[in-house]
Amino acid sequence: MREVHVTVNGASAAAAIDPRMLLSDFLRDRLGLTGTHVGCEHGYCGSCTVLVDGASTRSCLTLAVQVDGKSVHTVESLAAHGAELHPIQQALKDCHGLQCGFCTPGLLMSVAELASNGSTCTRDEIREHLAGNTCRCTGYQHIVDAVEQVMRSLRSEAVDVS
Amino acid sequence: MSPDRSPRYFGARVARNQDDRLLRGQGRFVADINPPGVVAAKFVRSNEAHAAIANVDIADALDAEGALAVFVGKDFADCEIRCVSSYPGFQESAQPILAVDRVRYVGEAVAMVIAENEYLAEDAAEVVVAELDVACAVVDAASAMHSSCAPLHEGWRDNAYVQRQAKTDGFEAARSGAPHQVSIELHNARHSGIPMESRACVAEYDARDQRFRIHTTTQIPHLIRAGLAIALGVPESRIQVVAPDVGGGFGVKGQLYPEDVACCLAARSLGRPVKWIEDRREHFVASHHAREHRHVLTGYFDDAGSILALEAEVTVDMGAYSVFPWTATMDAGMAMGILPGPYKITEYAVTAISVCTNKTPYGAYRGVGRPAACFSIERLVDQIGRQLGLDRTEIRRRNLLRDEDYPWHSPSGLVYDSGSLVESLEKVLEVSDFGDLLQRQSHARAEGRLFGVGMAVFTEQTAHTTQEFKQRGVPIVFGYETARVRLDASGTAVVSASIHDHGQGLETTLAQIAADRLGLELSQVRVEYGDTEQVAYGAGTFASRSAVLAGGAVIKASDAVAEVLREVAAHLLEASPGDIETGLGRLSVAGSPSRFVEIRDVCRIVYQRPELLPPGVEPLLESSRTYDAHPGTGAYANAAHLASVEIDSLTGATKVLSYAVVEDCGPMINPLIVEGQVFGGVAQGIGTALFEEFLYDEAGQPLTTTFSDYLVPVMSDIPDLRIAHLETPSPHTIGGMKGMGEGGAIAPGAVLASAVEDAISPLGAVTVNRLPLTPERVLAYIHEATHQGQPT
Repeated sequence: MREVHVTVNGASAAAAIDPRMLLSDFLRDRLGLTGTHVGCEHGYCGSCTVLVDGASTRSCLTLAVQVDGKSVHTVESLAAHGAELHPIQQALKDCHGLQCGFCTPGLLMSVAELASNGSTCTRDEIREHLAGNTCRCTGYQHIVDAVEQVMRSLRSEAVDVS
Repeated sequence: MSPDRSPRYFGARVARNQDDRLLRGQGRFVADINPPGVVAAKFVRSNEAHAAIANVDIADALDAEGALAVFVGKDFADCEIRCVSSYPGFQESAQPILAVDRVRYVGEAVAMVIAENEYLAEDAAEVVVAELDVACAVVDAASAMHSSCAPLHEGWRDNAYVQRQAKTDGFEAARSGAPHQVSIELHNARHSGIPMESRACVAEYDARDQRFRIHTTTQIPHLIRAGLAIALGVPESRIQVVAPDVGGGFGVKGQLYPEDVACCLAARSLGRPVKWIEDRREHFVASHHAREHRHVLTGYFDDAGSILALEAEVTVDMGAYSVFPWTATMDAGMAMGILPGPYKITEYAVTAISVCTNKTPYGAYRGVGRPAACFSIERLVDQIGRQLGLDRTEIRRRNLLRDEDYPWHSPSGLVYDSGSLVESLEKVLEVSDFGDLLQRQSHARAEGRLFGVGMAVFTEQTAHTTQEFKQRGVPIVFGYETARVRLDASGTAVVSASIHDHGQGLETTLAQIAADRLGLELSQVRVEYGDTEQVAYGAGTFASRSAVLAGGAVIKASDAVAEVLREVAAHLLEASPGDIETGLGRLSVAGSPSRFVEIRDVCRIVYQRPELLPPGVEPLLESSRTYDAHPGTGAYANAAHLASVEIDSLTGATKVLSYAVVEDCGPMINPLIVEGQVFGGVAQGIGTALFEEFLYDEAGQPLTTTFSDYLVPVMSDIPDLRIAHLETPSPHTIGGMKGMGEGGAIAPGAVLASAVEDAISPLGAVTVNRLPLTPERVLAYIHEATHQGQPT
């Protein structure tokens, strides 16, 4: 067992864990943050994407002990309980950018990273940036519409993902 | 009865009800469900395609830290999965829950390990040793049907689950009288739906009531309960199946799997909830495969290009076992039926064989047989045009069914009710800027670049019910769907439907329908589904049927409830029920809008002030209705697709540059959702066309067991689609609705093969007849084109 101290969605958490425990399992099973989904366990599909110190990270390929002392953000951080949807979430809803919703939390975190610097991209650039988040339902077009919309609406202000 | 005002929600592009919870990370998927005391299951799977089981050594696993139990084949030998077709000559397979004496594919489970958590279960599973005496593996349909190949199941004559044939009376005369013919052999690779959520289940057993409850990732909760009842040998009333949020289905989650049965048995044995999460590598070998068809087609035609007769040979590699509830006949039967496609073909002869091999069992995937059939007939039509020097639009115009041909009795016995085939073809030429594409093509060719355009037209049977499924020889006839509509005392509605929504947006579209019929706001209607304790009997979601059939049932049930509302309102307003209009939350007297009662007040009165009700009206605002779209032969949706591609002649990589769709699913409940379904279907079809293939070596070892070797389309692989709609109502369904969930996935293989063939054509004529068009295959076609006539 190994002690880890990590800040998750702004709250500090400490736990004694088996060193082999994956970050995805730590978030889901220890902290009950089941919004992070595991789609492949080999780092390909992107469903498990979270932000570690602001950088998108595959939580299925990361050991929980590797984030000791770091700050992790999951999909649950985007909109507080009872609060309105985050603009990225609202854009996906408005544009029908999700169907089954399984890949959506990981996609949201990748979009959050992409949109965080306030820059805008062409549709082709959006497709290249988000090629690491596989979605089997949408055919991606409505996702690209949503990311375009959120980039337009947030052009002047950086997206707050904390 | 129709609603009194024009619908507010039917036809509106409203955002979905379910999105908030999914966007907030508050979806409730099977993996998120952890009953107290839950333990983890891990399956030990065969790493041989075909072998006798000499021994399964579980001693070390039982000693492993945290291990609670290890089950092997004989422990569950009383249970099995059988799915028997009523077609004459069908040979039955019995799929064990855990293999008993023989394994028949890589991935078949030989042991089940239960431990305190998933990590410990994996550790214990690692030390289970299956001693297998390897036998010769039968890896392809041709070898399986060779006279020297021993049957894979005891008592079988050969390795065909079933062989079928059909021929129209006039076929021979039409064939012998035809001045021209062309033949083509076509291959579709084995692949499948690959939802982003793999399979999972959590089984519980309540010893006090002797009842099972299983949360499982399924599209068909009631059918799973029916299958479990048979496999477990208990009445359906002792089983509750719950499909919560499910992360995509596409058909692969539309079957009963041995793991569902095993988890129920283990939970009963241990007295603790048992949870299993399929990992992705397991998914590639243990979740059902699909799509592997070989067709040989011959078209007989006249000088003008009119197709006089069609001859087809269909072979489908169904893998090791017949799957519940579809049987091992479904894909071949679907292809037999729809191969003549959208064309005015009257004479037809077909043979079809469903073959057993040492591969993962074969089930449903979006389109079931139709993507292969569309690929085949469209490729054949292209070759006929080529032989006569007719371009691909003209050969289609000459053969497509026209408005005056409906209802069309196809030579395979289907009844096409309606369609807009020629119109959809003409419209897709506009939507795609076809003229501009041809200009771009000539510029590209002048520069030596390989630029191609391809197209396809198809018609698709949707929402077919009793009449159709009884002919398919399936043990359960999937005839109808059910909806219960209830209004509560607060004036809000709950729709309980027998379908399942795993992305299709039915939670929203059914609410749109009910809100219109009851005169409520969309937010006042909640749709529930997925729990067999909560919703009435029905088949579930597959075969492009849920919006039509559950939608029809919601209309019928809502109208029955609205009738009671009118009766009560009429009594309260001292008017006649026939004069009461519903809408905008009110019941009002026609022509006197100031005379109204709020719907919520009527609801409160019905339940809480029964003394105010008119004589004979019961204090109940609830109706359960079923809908089986008579006559059951289906509502035919259709579409035309057109794409352009450019091939990198050095690498063989195909880039899809543009893709246009004109689809016709009749009146749309929610065009935003329809478009999402089309976009998603086309992306999957592009995967079919260019990337996806389960590969095996000659020993039956799967070579594609991660997303690094099995490629699904990612965002940068898919272009922006252009889409336009036609809305030809079905004469067979309430509201004229047609199904459309599968359609997008049907045509891309045909379209992109046509486009690749066109792109390569300046180098020489080749016939593109094999999917997916991986860079290696495209390079081989280029080589063939450039080396024609040269010794190889």
